[in-house]
Amino acid sequence: MAMISGGFSYSALRLRLPSCSIPSSRLPVSRTRSSGSSASMDSGDELRQKYMEFPYVSGPHRDLMVELLSSVETRLGSSLQPCTLPPHVRHFGNPAGTAYACIQLRHGLPSSQIDFILGGWIHSKLPSGGALNITSLSGYLNSSTDAPNFRLELIQSIPTSLILVLDLTPRKDLILHPHHLKTYYEDTLLDRYRQRLHMLPEVSPYISPSLYVRAAVSPTAILVSIDVGAGETTNIEEIIRDHVGPVAKELLQFWIESCACTERRVGEPETAYLAERDRIIKNKTIELDLGSSFPRLFGQDVADRVLTVLKEHYNK
Amino acid sequence: MAVISGCFSYSAFHFPLPSCSTPSSRLSVSRIRLSASMNSSDELRAKLMEFPHVSAPHRDLMVELLSSVETRLGSSLQPCILPPDVQRFENPAGTASASLQLRPGLPSSQIDLILGGWIHCKLPSGGALNITSLSGYLKASTDAPHFLLDLIQGSPTSLVLILDLSPRKDLILHPNHLKTYYEDTQLDRHRQRLHTLPEVRPYFSPSLGVRALLSPTAIIVTIDVGTSETTNIEEIIRDHVGPVAKELLQFWIESCACPERHVEESEMAYLAERDRIIKNTAIEVDLGSSFPRLFGQDVADRVLTFLKEYYNK
Repeated sequence: MAMISGGFSYSALRLRLPSCSIPSSRLPVSRTRSSGSSASMDSGDELRQKYMEFPYVSGPHRDLMVELLSSVETRLGSSLQPCTLPPHVRHFGNPAGTAYACIQLRHGLPSSQIDFILGGWIHSKLPSGGALNITSLSGYLNSSTDAPNFRLELIQSIPTSLILVLDLTPRKDLILHPHHLKTYYEDTLLDRYRQRLHMLPEVSPYISPSLYVRAAVSPTAILVSIDVGAGETTNIEEIIRDHVGPVAKELLQFWIESCACTERRVGEPETAYLAERDRIIKNKTIELDLGSSFPRLFGQDVADRVLTVLKEHYNK
Repeated sequence: MAVISGCFSYSAFHFPLPSCSTPSSRLSVSRIRLSASMNSSDELRAKLMEFPHVSAPHRDLMVELLSSVETRLGSSLQPCILPPDVQRFENPAGTASASLQLRPGLPSSQIDLILGGWIHCKLPSGGALNITSLSGYLKASTDAPHFLLDLIQGSPTSLVLILDLSPRKDLILHPNHLKTYYEDTQLDRHRQRLHTLPEVRPYFSPSLGVRALLSPTAIIVTIDVGTSETTNIEEIIRDHVGPVAKELLQFWIESCACPERHVEESEMAYLAERDRIIKNTAIEVDLGSSFPRLFGQDVADRVLTFLKEYYNK
């Protein structure tokens, strides 16, 4: 879920691909066409199909989100239940019609290590004339595993600047559990992705106004502002295509293979510890992240309706 | 403790001042004069206090910070427990020297230990590496944050500063700890203040363990004046680093080290274990990798072994 106060984006998706796991191979994905739909597609599906197209963001940004969501669907689809969010939570907007959002939330099957996958986007026209666009993908694992969660957000409010949050967020206190730090963050050389992006002159660290967000992310978190300024040498779309994209895809791949799919046999009392910590994280996200931005973007009524449902789903 | 791998400096100190607590007043301290009863260990400590290798503003800052600790907390501290050859040591070639002081808290105190020191090392390039450091660790009878300060200077125009009140608990599982010590106190304003300087940018410690132990409001920055003609490192220390460091130390002394906290028995085991790991991380990361290089294996082993044994007893 978006963890930057000020803007969130949920890329709701629903791919009309068969739900089956394919072993680690990366599928080339371009556009998901809405044609060839099954006979059972109704207007709700059409709507959702439309929104899978990430209508408000640039080509490379859209392509990246589609590819990431496809990976999730392909590799994890067989472990996920269909989205059970009611239509008014899957797609909603403010009364003035200047802000829209799309969310999809798929719970893991009871046998799976996945708690749920959440994706979506938000688009909001700004008074200045521009628009705020947020696209997001998160993967939460349940307490049968201690592997990290996955989090991605791209937040863009002007054409020349983007905030990127990309992290495998820890499930445990890394001080008290140095083994967790070693296993998932040191031995994996995860920091090389952060280092790679920081080599770009357009990239600088983004310090979240929320202390909670700063505390929740891992030591290898990519939390950056990408600013091309008046540069003529490059633009945001190129940076997404050439740098953000490859890193995001590799990290998602790593998460799918080594976190979501790798079986961990976590016993008590660790399960209780993880469950409590996860509960706090999920509820903080709703309270701090969505709880502050949704009312601003969509009005109190819409925000309340949506957040009530999400809160139920988060705490299932 | 220094938490940058590559070099560390411990400013050890021990003022031959009467041990009494003075309520919050900041002493203006320039040079500490030695009393008539000075013996060789006092000499050692006095020499350490002189911070012989750093610039005047840097030295003044360290002296002032150490004086604050001595004045406000001295009556809660035991004398330094380090043997002389761990208080002061050099490499065989004489190109690297260091000074360390470790004063444990009295049994009745909430202070676990105060560790200070400096390291000086001539570099092959002709320059020198200087590190000055001050840390305050609290016992498991309180859950208030520890204090960490390191200034690491490897060139005349560049300085790495680590200044933090490091958390005692997992801030996710204990949001109240985050709120009490970091949010309600608006601790982030110090970090923000330094980040308004154009010469300042974030520093990423090569050690993930170090990144993990620092707070969300940690000041962990590189200060680089480059070829600037408008300012220099000494001015920045005097005008910006100094005031922030003193305020944070003051806050730590008054709101962390001194106020009594009533920690549940069940929590004390949690805190004690976490603290043990933090202190060992600081040693491993800071001293473990660089000490052998700076001081040779023998000296490094002697110092590290003593500290590790002390931390893990």
